[in-house]
Amino acid sequence: MLDDPGLGTLADEGARGLYPFLSPGRADLGAVLAEARRSTEEKAAEITRLRWQVAEVAGDELAECAQEMAIRFAAGGRLFAFGNGGSSTDAQEVATTFLHPPCGLSLPALSLTSDVAVVTALSNDVGFDVVFARQLAALGRRGDIAVGLSTSGGSFNVLKAFEEAARRGMLTVGLAGDQGGRLADLGVLDYLFVIPSSSVHRIQEAQTTVYHVLWELTQHALGAVPGPRARGAG
Amino acid sequence: MPVTSTMHPAVGEAFARRDRAGRALAADSERIAHACREMAVRFRRGGKLIVFGSGGGGTDAAHITVEFMHPVIVGKKALPALALSNDSATVTGVSGREGPAEVFAHQVRQWADPADMALGVSRDGDCENVLRGLATARELGLFTLALVGGDGGAVVRRGVADHVLTAASDDPAVVKEIHVTTYHILWELVHVLYEQPGLIGEKATA
Repeated sequence: MLDDPGLGTLADEGARGLYPFLSPGRADLGAVLAEARRSTEEKAAEITRLRWQVAEVAGDELAECAQEMAIRFAAGGRLFAFGNGGSSTDAQEVATTFLHPPCGLSLPALSLTSDVAVVTALSNDVGFDVVFARQLAALGRRGDIAVGLSTSGGSFNVLKAFEEAARRGMLTVGLAGDQGGRLADLGVLDYLFVIPSSSVHRIQEAQTTVYHVLWELTQHALGAVPGPRARGAG
Repeated sequence: MPVTSTMHPAVGEAFARRDRAGRALAADSERIAHACREMAVRFRRGGKLIVFGSGGGGTDAAHITVEFMHPVIVGKKALPALALSNDSATVTGVSGREGPAEVFAHQVRQWADPADMALGVSRDGDCENVLRGLATARELGLFTLALVGGDGGAVVRRGVADHVLTAASDDPAVVKEIHVTTYHILWELVHVLYEQPGLIGEKATA
């Protein structure tokens, strides 16, 4: 999924570089499948490296952020998650992970991307830029938690939502990629986790790890034992 | 406020748990390449991708759909894909009347054409509605693919899918992370093969 054309262009150049056999008349199926296998192996190694990079750079901050989230939940705070395209599915994953976890404590969490009536009404009547901010203005209160995801860091409706969340005294947690985009300059975020990659796909994959680790550490901070197992996870 | 002393080891442990599964994905490269070839052939024939999953797997179904419908790379063709877990009216409606096991199978029966593909996501491989969805798709002659974790659960034991890709972890969070990389790769390689119709034995005009 694309939420920044600039990153898409980078990915395109990357794809052409990875598949030199794409020029017509050169390839046979065996060679293409061999190249496909090599490409998969490279990507598996790349995301594994990227995760460790994030652990090294952001490990301490992840622990601190999870502790702050746990304090909010313990005091009755709720979590609101938002993002566009592929990141909207991450927002839903964040919400269901906290609300209906495979183990540990169930905590109140809502994805602001799930109610199509609200999303299309706000987009149609006011504008897409306010689609998350308006929901936070109605639902959010001091002591709640706002988690916003943007691979580019430039999604305008995510920026507006964070401004609204900060105004309301919510804990603000951003996930971005590359250099962090406009989210890095926003100045209202309590925490911003930037995945240092120019690939939208690798950014999304590492962001998935970041919010899963935040969930796990939040459970840990609340005294719930993690150790999740696949059984019963769907 | 200071972070409690057990938090830092917990961070390291959480990232370490991802490492083995992340590296194990490379061992699946051949299976992934062959699944992509099968999918590219069906897209060339006008088939669509029908995706479903329960719980967190439903978010993967939506993510897979948006990858194909709105490609990350500018200029790539949108390929038809549909997530069956998004329509909460239908999902809760079928669940209430026919039971939760039927929520995907019911929709598969209405949407499936013979050239289509069914992709089921189940982090433990035991999700009954995903199993029923895959089994129904297979009965209807669709190409069936499953993304699972752990030991593959009943998806593997009952052999309900033509291709199974298993993330090498018992932790559902880690399984999801490996699945995300897997379907990103699936999307990319499907396009590589789709754009070379001569290679997959299909006409270039599709």
